[in-house]
Amino acid sequence: MLKNYFKIAIAVLKRRKFFTFISLFGIAFTLTILIVLTAFLDHLISPQYPDTKRARSLYINTATRTHSGKGFQSNGPLSYHFLNKYVSSMKTPERVGIGSIFITTNTYINNKKLEIDMKYTNADFWEVQEFEFLEGRPYTAQEITNGDHVVVISEQTRRDYFGETTAVGKYFETDNVKYRVCGVVKDVPITLIFSYANVYLPYTLSKTGRNDTRFEGMYTAIILARSKADLPAIQDEYQQTIARIPLKGEEFNELHSYADTYLASFTRILLGKDDSSGVGKFVLSIGLFALFFMLLPTLNLININISRIMERSSEIGVRKAFGASSKTLVYQFIIENIILTLIGGLLGLALSAIVILVLNSSQLIPHMYLAINFTVLAWAFIVCLVFGFFSGVYPAWRMSKLQVVTALKAQ
Amino acid sequence: MIQLQNIEKVYRTSAVETLALNNVNLNVNKGEFLSIMGPSGCGKSTLLNIMGLLDAPSKGEVRIDNEATTSLSDKQMAHFRNKKLGFIFQSYHLINDLRVLDNVELPLLYRNSNAKERTRLAKAALEKVGLSNRMKHFPNQLSGGQKQRVAIARAIVGEPEIILADEPTGNLDSAMGNEIMDILLELNNIDKTTIVMVTHDEHMARRTHRLVRLFDGSQVS
Amino acid sequence: MFTHLFKLIWNKKKQNFMLMLEILVSFLVIFAVFTMLVYYYKNYRKPMNFEYDQVWSIGFKMQDRPQSNDSLYVFFEALKNQVKSMPEVEQLSFSGHNIPFSMSTSQNSLDYEGRHVRSIHDYTVSDDHAKVLKLSLVSGRWFSKEDDASRYQPIVISEFLKDKLFGTGEAVGQVLDKESDHPRRIVGVVKDIKDHGDYQAIESAMFRRADTNALRWMEQALIRVKPGTGVAFEGRLYKALASHLTNATIEIEHLTNKRQAKNSMTLVPIIIMMVVAGFLVINVALGLFGVLWYNINRRKAEIGLRRAIGAPAGSISRQLVSEAMVLATLALIVGCFFAVQFPLLNVFDLPASVYIYAIVLAVLFVYLLVIICSLYPGKQAAAIYPAVALHED
Repeated sequence: MLKNYFKIAIAVLKRRKFFTFISLFGIAFTLTILIVLTAFLDHLISPQYPDTKRARSLYINTATRTHSGKGFQSNGPLSYHFLNKYVSSMKTPERVGIGSIFITTNTYINNKKLEIDMKYTNADFWEVQEFEFLEGRPYTAQEITNGDHVVVISEQTRRDYFGETTAVGKYFETDNVKYRVCGVVKDVPITLIFSYANVYLPYTLSKTGRNDTRFEGMYTAIILARSKADLPAIQDEYQQTIARIPLKGEEFNELHSYADTYLASFTRILLGKDDSSGVGKFVLSIGLFALFFMLLPTLNLININISRIMERSSEIGVRKAFGASSKTLVYQFIIENIILTLIGGLLGLALSAIVILVLNSSQLIPHMYLAINFTVLAWAFIVCLVFGFFSGVYPAWRMSKLQVVTALKAQ
Repeated sequence: MIQLQNIEKVYRTSAVETLALNNVNLNVNKGEFLSIMGPSGCGKSTLLNIMGLLDAPSKGEVRIDNEATTSLSDKQMAHFRNKKLGFIFQSYHLINDLRVLDNVELPLLYRNSNAKERTRLAKAALEKVGLSNRMKHFPNQLSGGQKQRVAIARAIVGEPEIILADEPTGNLDSAMGNEIMDILLELNNIDKTTIVMVTHDEHMARRTHRLVRLFDGSQVS
Repeated sequence: MFTHLFKLIWNKKKQNFMLMLEILVSFLVIFAVFTMLVYYYKNYRKPMNFEYDQVWSIGFKMQDRPQSNDSLYVFFEALKNQVKSMPEVEQLSFSGHNIPFSMSTSQNSLDYEGRHVRSIHDYTVSDDHAKVLKLSLVSGRWFSKEDDASRYQPIVISEFLKDKLFGTGEAVGQVLDKESDHPRRIVGVVKDIKDHGDYQAIESAMFRRADTNALRWMEQALIRVKPGTGVAFEGRLYKALASHLTNATIEIEHLTNKRQAKNSMTLVPIIIMMVVAGFLVINVALGLFGVLWYNINRRKAEIGLRRAIGAPAGSISRQLVSEAMVLATLALIVGCFFAVQFPLLNVFDLPASVYIYAIVLAVLFVYLLVIICSLYPGKQAAAIYPAVALHED
């Protein structure tokens, strides 16, 4: 039966080339947009080089300090002092990587200006993140304590500063300070804000906030758990730690901070409220957007399908006259429509591969490489089925109500 | 009223030429009720279409009301059909999405007339065919005979001099057919409308003034 | 004829419902796009009212500053004199974080005789700021040394804020925030500046004179350089700054680049949205075209009949186009009802005129789309041979 349906579907598609073109165009284009968007989302959310251990990592982005009486509220990253004292000392994590938000500075070489994004880190940062070293090695805890002027630079910075040559052992100057390059890592796109920088330096070299014992600062922490199962325990311990921190002598009387999974650490800032991390809201709004975006193409497909059905009313009449029930006809039409959307889906997949290729080679965001991966493919397939189903149901229902006589007569 | 001279009609498809009408000469007088008979495919409908300016002959001349029609432009022809001709079809050809009254008003839409006048004339025409009580219905709520009566009302609403009827009783049983025939005869008698009717019902044809028979595109009597 | 077409569509409303819904949703999408376009275009048309071409910003993030007010003052004066001593530098001023085209903003509120104006962009700047950016004064003067002795904090406000506070009345000399412990006096009014990029709306702005306290946290300087000054000088300047500000991280940026970056933050989403909306519209147009075209086949008999009873060919194609227009009109009436809610409920805090322009443009656009999509099907319909159409069954 399915084979039969398939044959009819292909025949119908061939007969009305223009309608087929419109349907396929609509489906392919809609899916292309959705696939490219999901690829981008996937790039943002799924583990990426060098943040490959996201599944067993927790992130501390910010802390909110409030004074309910004075109406004071302040929100921002934390100081190295705070993270080192309270987070690094926690029992449950395996390691705690600490890195600053990136700070931009310039360096001038051969009458060329380079904009350098610097990140100050501790030694565990290199353990928590899996950077690929093209040459050299990360700086060690000992070098950090000594205050040695050593840096790790990105491949791009090496090319810009030293040209097409090796850099380890050479000196790199910025902020009027000379640093010895101890390692070169593969580039990271700016979309991974916990990992991205052009130049990585020991936190002891930071010009600001070295001896700062205040809470606010410019650092974030990545907590690596021994296994995924430990995450809730770490979150609990962090909450207990936060609750125990004495707030005497501060201008606030409440401190809120969360160790979140990667996605939640962003949604909390955008959509979070009180204790909820905002992941639910985020998924909901993405879903609503996708639904609304698909509404117009679906309506379009419904209208085209209604036309197609009316055109085939005599076929339907004959089938009914020879004993097909309304139900089988509805099935037939929906299956036909799903076949159509799947073909459109294949086209859309090809089209999005091209779009992603163009996006990647244009380097709109430097070093960002999108890919259609299996999650994206699976989503695209589901979207196809939903799309085909919804755009087929209403016309099929209309069709099934056609009277045999009118269907036969309306040629 | 209608003069057909040496009418020939050839249908060409890619491979074959079919001669649908062969040298037909016919005069229809003013006030006459003429019927055309013949077997299926003999060209009677083609002849009627040519008389109604719906189709152009391959050869020959059609004169209506002493006017040559061959050289008329599309717009003039449309105007001519609207003013002088009324059509009735076997399958009624009512617009299913319009109510009876709106269907009857249709020819007046293509004239300069105001809405009130149109409604008045359409009601009068429906009255003539005895359907004043069905004005607000949709065509698919009516029986075949009623539908054909609506079609007649539509044909006469513009007070044409000629009515062309293509098997008006073909889809109806004999009782209803006779009813339709009565209305047409009355139109012919009282309003002196010239009527040309294609039919294959001997009984109906015998009630008209004159009978013309066609066979394979040629006039046989 | 119009009522006739209306009846035709109304009586078929069930079949036409989906088509109307599609036009309605398309209208709403197009309306949203036009609202954005009109809004940004209106903003774009307004003058910038300051010059940024030769202006560079210097960021200096530093922790340890001189503790006492006097040494702090001396430190900043020395920095200023050192930079200004370079022949390429024409002017220099210090500023808070919210320099032109930066990502950071700072907002405040002002009170004047019971009127409370909120969301005022608050710029803390030094005396030469107006010269660096070449701001144009409408009335009064810019603050300067002569305000040192003033009891009030001297501020300069923008015209937009002046209209909000005083309407047509005089602003210069008025004292604001009288009740608070730091009342301010307006010394001048400047033309509105668009310092958040070409496409941003004009908003209220106030400039306050940087006092010694501000020197504790200001991390930005703006300099105006001579035309033609290039990277070579920038390198020298950087070195000079780094030697003076030994414990600071320094970043020099050109306002022209910052403007580009800021503009593209507005433009990129618009372009993406327009590409997406454009494809949606093509999609809908093709669909509409297909459906209308197909409908002719279904209505061959009706069209043949109309031709038989005297409709000229032109009238048929006009009828089909008009039918599509009536259909669109019905959808647009509903669409406009929704669209009008935006200015009525003031959903996004945009001026009502933006929505009204957008509605008008979107309506015209939808009509244009419908006409284009129905012209060809209309032509096809007019070419139908009545004799063939009427005898097909």
